[in-house]
Amino acid sequence: MNVRKRIPIVVLAVGGLVLSACSGGGDDSDPLETLDIMAPFYSEVPPEEDDPIDEALSELVGHDISVQWVPHSEYGDKVNVTLAGDDIPDVMVIEDKNQSFVQTAEAGGFWDLTDYLASGDYPNLVAENPEVQEATSVNGTVYGVYRARDVIRHSVILRADWLDNLDMDPPETTDDLMEIARAFTEDDPDGNGEDDTYGMINIEWPAAIGTGSPYDAIEVWHGAGNVWKDEGGTLTPSFETPEWKQAVEYEREMVENGYLNPDYATMAPEDWNTPFLNGEGGIIVDVQSRASQLVGLFKEQDPETFDQYVALAGQLEGPNGTYSMPTPGHKGILAIPKSGVQTEEQLEEVLTTLNNLNSTEAQNLMNNGIEGDNYTVEDGVAVRDPERQDFTDQVTGAWAQLGMNVAGYNAYPLAKETEFEQELEDLRLDLQSEDLENAVFNPAASLVSETYTTNGVQLDTMIADARIQYIDGQIDDAGLQDVFDQWHSSGGDDVLAELNDLYSELD
Amino acid sequence: MTTVLKVDPEPPRTRPGARRRRFLTDVVRYRWLIFMMLPGIVYFVLFRFWPMYGAHIAFKNYIPFLGIEGSEWVGLAHFEEFFTNPDFPRLLTNTLIVASLSLFIAFPLTIVLALLLNELRLTILKRTVQTLVYIPHFLSWTVVVSLTALLFAIGNGPLWTFFNDLFGTDSNMLADPDWFRPLILMQMVWKDTGWGTIIFLAALAGVDQEQYQAAIIDGAGRWQRVWHITLPSIRPVIIILLILQTGRFLDTGFEQIYLMSNSLNRDVADVFDTYVYFTGIQQGAYSYSTAIGLSKALVGVVLIFGTNWLAKRFNQQGIF
Repeated sequence: MNVRKRIPIVVLAVGGLVLSACSGGGDDSDPLETLDIMAPFYSEVPPEEDDPIDEALSELVGHDISVQWVPHSEYGDKVNVTLAGDDIPDVMVIEDKNQSFVQTAEAGGFWDLTDYLASGDYPNLVAENPEVQEATSVNGTVYGVYRARDVIRHSVILRADWLDNLDMDPPETTDDLMEIARAFTEDDPDGNGEDDTYGMINIEWPAAIGTGSPYDAIEVWHGAGNVWKDEGGTLTPSFETPEWKQAVEYEREMVENGYLNPDYATMAPEDWNTPFLNGEGGIIVDVQSRASQLVGLFKEQDPETFDQYVALAGQLEGPNGTYSMPTPGHKGILAIPKSGVQTEEQLEEVLTTLNNLNSTEAQNLMNNGIEGDNYTVEDGVAVRDPERQDFTDQVTGAWAQLGMNVAGYNAYPLAKETEFEQELEDLRLDLQSEDLENAVFNPAASLVSETYTTNGVQLDTMIADARIQYIDGQIDDAGLQDVFDQWHSSGGDDVLAELNDLYSELD
Repeated sequence: MTTVLKVDPEPPRTRPGARRRRFLTDVVRYRWLIFMMLPGIVYFVLFRFWPMYGAHIAFKNYIPFLGIEGSEWVGLAHFEEFFTNPDFPRLLTNTLIVASLSLFIAFPLTIVLALLLNELRLTILKRTVQTLVYIPHFLSWTVVVSLTALLFAIGNGPLWTFFNDLFGTDSNMLADPDWFRPLILMQMVWKDTGWGTIIFLAALAGVDQEQYQAAIIDGAGRWQRVWHITLPSIRPVIIILLILQTGRFLDTGFEQIYLMSNSLNRDVADVFDTYVYFTGIQQGAYSYSTAIGLSKALVGVVLIFGTNWLAKRFNQQGIF
């Protein structure tokens, strides 16, 4: 009898337990004990909770820091899911201004930091490049401390031995690049007597525009602007400029002539280095750090001759002038949701902690690791201990990615293992300052159009797909025009109008 | 179990008090059955019914920070936007084609394979083949797509060479829009046909062996036995699975399509499921993508009732 009566109670109890477990959380306005941060990682495995860096940082800032590491490939999805859930961290890395972020921010879900950061109370959070901070804002309102990154990263990476064999120089102009791509394809650059090489290596790029793809770079070099182009005070989408057309025709010519790998539209990104290493293709247009990566891979194959394979060239002069493609200069922001940090006192605490995370000491911890453990300092440069490479990889692949360094980067520079690598590093820095002078920034970076936040992904996909289809010869000029018309009618016109309204208010 | 439940005749439903007492007696009598059902009930309440509460964000402009209740009510605006979207006809066509491939080709193939397996008389061979065809089901789509990429790799992929030699072409199947659907179908068939046979094999095991013996004596050949005995015997199972299958008609599967699509084949690749991912998860348009999901579910319900009704029209057993 007793057992029978208990059954419904058990049902209720079990159900109730599970339900209450779903709706956890609380609202305490006490000082924060633990600072919860959500951030992406790029290393193979994320650092463990309370790893040595975490402990050292926690001690340094006087707060227990707890980072929820999310694989970078699924970070964007995770942010959207987290924003829709209950368990919101105190600090969140926001990588792009998508709908869920903008809507949440405009509804008051994130602290407006514009005045706090401008006040100068947090000296390490005062932006060295105010334009970059402006670009991370939502129409001028700053919702976070940005993660500063190099402004110039793109370059042309070539097989140095092939250039030598053919007696050619690294390219200066886009015409040079075409000629080198031709020679790499047709003139047997590896001298084996067989027609087994091609010029440039491209990979399948996510269907988006203005995301640092080789196509984007070539368009900027031709003078098409950077996503948007200011023409007489109004913004025009760069794909509607004649220079853009010229650039895609250039790319189409490369494909038609077989100067590109045949699977350029479907090759997996992680395979990008392989044809270069194997001597199938000889040109990669990508970030400079890929050059050092390739040098490292060649060194693994042959420590004697590794310095003969990689040549690094700066961005190219186009037919219409010299333009170079910058990065946005940031990789998103560290925003502070109001659901976790509820009072102004708590906010000030969090900002103080972020300020401390930008001190030189913290920068060393986050970018180099633990001095005396995985690196030592010699003549002001950090020398890594190869025995502790796994730990170093974890630091550089995770903690370094969290770094903001908005007020400048003062950690020890890294010692290069060999003279060649040091030369490459010096060349990289030279090219950076040279290309910075011609950088073409996206004039609409800070502007958030409502239609774009709701339809942006489709609009961008439309253009990015049409670009590849045109290059591939699947569609012709008329087909391209159809896609542009469709872009205009399915929201593009609204985006244009909204952005131009905001743009005219800027000045 | 059904016989146990049907032992008691329906009580006369006169007084509500008696009904309640009757209910309690039932609860007491079948307490262990009810107890065993508990996990299932909890599962459905928690993961199927409770989330439905959230489905009404399809009629709102849902902003997580404002909460479900706090978000603005916009009525059918999201549905209107979806159905008038210029992408809609394309998404619908692609979804219907992929769904039809699965329903009209992959599904019958399952039955064919089950019949073939059933005809194998050597038990060890039958078991081995069965196990081998189940295996692909346990691979994730990511693995299947990676395998496809290897098999169709330009220059050295064995299937790339095979098909290009066969048709005298020089195409990159992974990017060619004309090849997208054949590839999807091949993957679907390879991955899940074997797994799908399980239920049919179970049904086939229940076919009365005496009928076969009688048919053999009457001089029926293998084909005649399959056609006149085996197929009619498993027809109820086929019908039920078909009805269930049509309910999932528009679920073309997100992972497979998403992983197989690229800039050159996206025109034929985009389906509702990938569109929901792009808008809902990538762009954070929760309300909009919920509206799409609801529309899809509605179509699923209509299809289930429709096929069920049809099945009954033709004097077959439906599922309800």
